[in-house]
Amino acid sequence: MDARSWRAIAPWAGLAALVVLPLVLRDRYLVHLLVMAGIFVILSSSWNLLAGYTGQLNLGHAAFYGIGAYTSALLAIKLGISPWLGLVLGGLVAACFGLLLGVPALRLSGPYLAITTIGFAEILRLVAMNWVDLTRGSLGLYGIPPLTPIPLPGGKSLTFTSEVSAYYVILVLCLLSLACCRRLVNSDFGISARSLRDDEMAAASVGIDVNAYKLAIFMLSAFFAGLAGAFFAHYQRLVSPDTLSTAETFTILTMVMLGGLGTLTGPVVGAVVLTFLAEGLRFVEDWVKMDVRLIIYGLLLILTILFMRGGMVGLFDRFRRPAAQPGRE
Amino acid sequence: MEILRTKDLTKNFGGLCAVDKISFSLYAGEIVGLIGPNGAGKTTLINLLSGFFPPSSGRIVFEEQDVTGFKAHQLNELGVARTFQVVRVFNKLTVLENVLSAQVDRRQMGPWELVRRAILPPRGEHQRYQKECEAAERLLEFVGIAQYRDEPAENLPYALSKRLEIARALATNPTLLLLDEPSSGLNPRELDDQITIIKRINQQGISILIIEHVMKVIMNISHRLIVLQYGEKIAEGLPQEVYSDPQVVEAYLGGDAHAQH
Repeated sequence: MDARSWRAIAPWAGLAALVVLPLVLRDRYLVHLLVMAGIFVILSSSWNLLAGYTGQLNLGHAAFYGIGAYTSALLAIKLGISPWLGLVLGGLVAACFGLLLGVPALRLSGPYLAITTIGFAEILRLVAMNWVDLTRGSLGLYGIPPLTPIPLPGGKSLTFTSEVSAYYVILVLCLLSLACCRRLVNSDFGISARSLRDDEMAAASVGIDVNAYKLAIFMLSAFFAGLAGAFFAHYQRLVSPDTLSTAETFTILTMVMLGGLGTLTGPVVGAVVLTFLAEGLRFVEDWVKMDVRLIIYGLLLILTILFMRGGMVGLFDRFRRPAAQPGRE
Repeated sequence: MEILRTKDLTKNFGGLCAVDKISFSLYAGEIVGLIGPNGAGKTTLINLLSGFFPPSSGRIVFEEQDVTGFKAHQLNELGVARTFQVVRVFNKLTVLENVLSAQVDRRQMGPWELVRRAILPPRGEHQRYQKECEAAERLLEFVGIAQYRDEPAENLPYALSKRLEIARALATNPTLLLLDEPSSGLNPRELDDQITIIKRINQQGISILIIEHVMKVIMNISHRLIVLQYGEKIAEGLPQEVYSDPQVVEAYLGGDAHAQH
């Protein structure tokens, strides 16, 4: 077979592998890790939309994740709204908060925006901690219903309490989110977004309404994070203010930087690698009796920025084709 | 036909008056040269006309519509395009994407319409995109950089990135093009190419306001000249007239220039 037919087959082969993976693993713990990796794939890809393609450094991304989780959980517990609908509503409410955070982003950039977004997430975390009547504070919301079973013809129904079933749901959500990201990035919309990352003044000079685009991208990015959060709530069935913490955002940031900022595959690679690495580090932590996870993340981040700017994906590309020769006409 | 008129256009930066009560008109199909010593307010004037700064006072009328205080992207939608004194191309985008970024018909499509089209492409979206690419390529050919279409713009040599900026400005389908020193930093051969390109743009019926220091260019292509000094308009007229204007000579060469002859 030539390279071209391989390229046509590869995505389908990959999909088939992903579908049979949990059946082959037969290990609930490993499948659980895959589900968590899937959640982080959506989180890091959505953060990458903002940071990688539009150049907006949002250090409050976990806030959108938490808002999605709390929204869907509360709707299900208090109002009995279907968790399936909750997934979408969690995304939509997060998108509204995305709009809210997008407004200061119109005037701020770089470190100023970064600090504002940290503050935004911190405020929401404190609200979740202290609005005990609604959120049960630091105890967290528990007793969140799982995704409701889907009745099948023949009296049976599809339930979503096992890790394997959750795996398939997050797989579908991941594929949908990644397909959306890919289409967005490669479209006219994506070109406009990337152009304002490179030069806002020039973008305005060709008719791009920089503010409208920034708000749109903040909302889109928040939507996908909220979706991941809502799924997490019904999977873990416990949401605590920790989901909104800055440490969560830095995990996402490290995943994207490690995988490759501003690429489609980078965040996916970073999310999977780091999710499994984090679990491996748990054993190390037991051994050294110290919380080393964030230290290692920090180290990875520094090393990536110093020696591997394009992340793992960039490294792979460099290996595959020699660097372009600059300065030729 | 008059397409642009300013009345007492003024811009103050704190105590500094960068543009001081400038009134002028620009007619359809004209190339008007904007000259003056460094710091005369030429670039500030272009920034006002393209909506990058709001004027402190005075009015701007474009095609019979009062556009004073309009934002840059709004003015561009109405038909004002510009280039920058220091090249501002989208570095990480390919040469073709640079032009595509400008080409979307934003008079009809806002960001959300583009998001919808990206995620759920309507029928014929692919053909529309193909047409867009073809039109963009024609513009790249027009300025002579079509062979670099898939290069990141940051790889272009300086002279060619200046041409890319022009192609990108043209992609927005302007009626008025504001060129801020299109020939700075070019060698003599590149300069001739640039003059040809500007003349050909004008032949398509696009009016041009051009800031230029290179006399060869300005005398060659301008139908009229406007001379600024210390933010004020000190002369206006045909190139030859303006060049023999004693006030202009004084502005450029200093007060004693005549005395020494």
